[in-house]
Amino acid sequence: MQEQNLNPEESLQIIQGMIRRAQNNLSENGFLFIFWGWLVFLSASAFYYLTTNGFDNAWYAWYTMPLGGIFTMIWSIRQKKKEKVRSYIDDYMMFVWLAFGFCMLITLGMGFKLQLNCYPILIMLYATATFITGGIIRFVPLIVCGALSYAISVCAFFVTFETQILLLALSVLVSYIIPGHWMQVKFKKQLAHAA
Amino acid sequence: MPLNDLDPILHSQLRLAVVSLLISVKEAEFTHIRGQTNATAGNLSVQLQKLKDAGYIEIEKSFKDNYPQTTCRITKAGIQAFDTYVQNLQQYIKPK
Repeated sequence: MQEQNLNPEESLQIIQGMIRRAQNNLSENGFLFIFWGWLVFLSASAFYYLTTNGFDNAWYAWYTMPLGGIFTMIWSIRQKKKEKVRSYIDDYMMFVWLAFGFCMLITLGMGFKLQLNCYPILIMLYATATFITGGIIRFVPLIVCGALSYAISVCAFFVTFETQILLLALSVLVSYIIPGHWMQVKFKKQLAHAA
Repeated sequence: MPLNDLDPILHSQLRLAVVSLLISVKEAEFTHIRGQTNATAGNLSVQLQKLKDAGYIEIEKSFKDNYPQTTCRITKAGIQAFDTYVQNLQQYIKPK
């Protein structure tokens, strides 16, 4: 970029161009959506199988969650070291997902106090995090998939516990796995376009 | 048409591009800014220093994995100057 006299139109073009460049960059590559989507999907499927086949300790299937949490922490720290630009969106996203994590922990830990079967609420939390993320990064498939998961959450209030497990798996398929892969494709296209 | 009202610090192609980029993000590394503006490292360093001297940006030098790293972020004075620049610019652009 060379130094030169600018006229007002050129100045505006530079401003618009740079701001558009910063905003169009989808910093989210969908990896964590895909990772957590498949992890919860497989764990829920295993839990369903073990529960319906009379295993006493079927909930062992959920031991994958703390392991996933540790992996996510390590992955996030490594990613942060690599990042060359930090947007305000990155900060908003961090708080949204931290809030989601706290809500999950409180619901799972304290649900028994209300004698509450918490699966419909967990599905609602999944939907909320996806819906808000879609709004922040302006990625319509995430918004739509989040909304679909809300519908699944409503259905979950009316079915048996076993069916709720299946609905939880369906919810992560709809609101994490599908949009996660969609996001990854868009991210790869963006990289190819930038190269 | 004279453009005397426009801030001379911002009324430069590269400096305006840098400030427009930094106003959209929280912070950015030197290499990222260079990639986005297609500027040479030498020219970008000079222009960043001018913006820093004007108080429009902060430059933080650190080390990451034993490599020097330069991170830039816009200051409140920079945001104010950019806002004023855009307002003044609008006076020169007549609606068609």
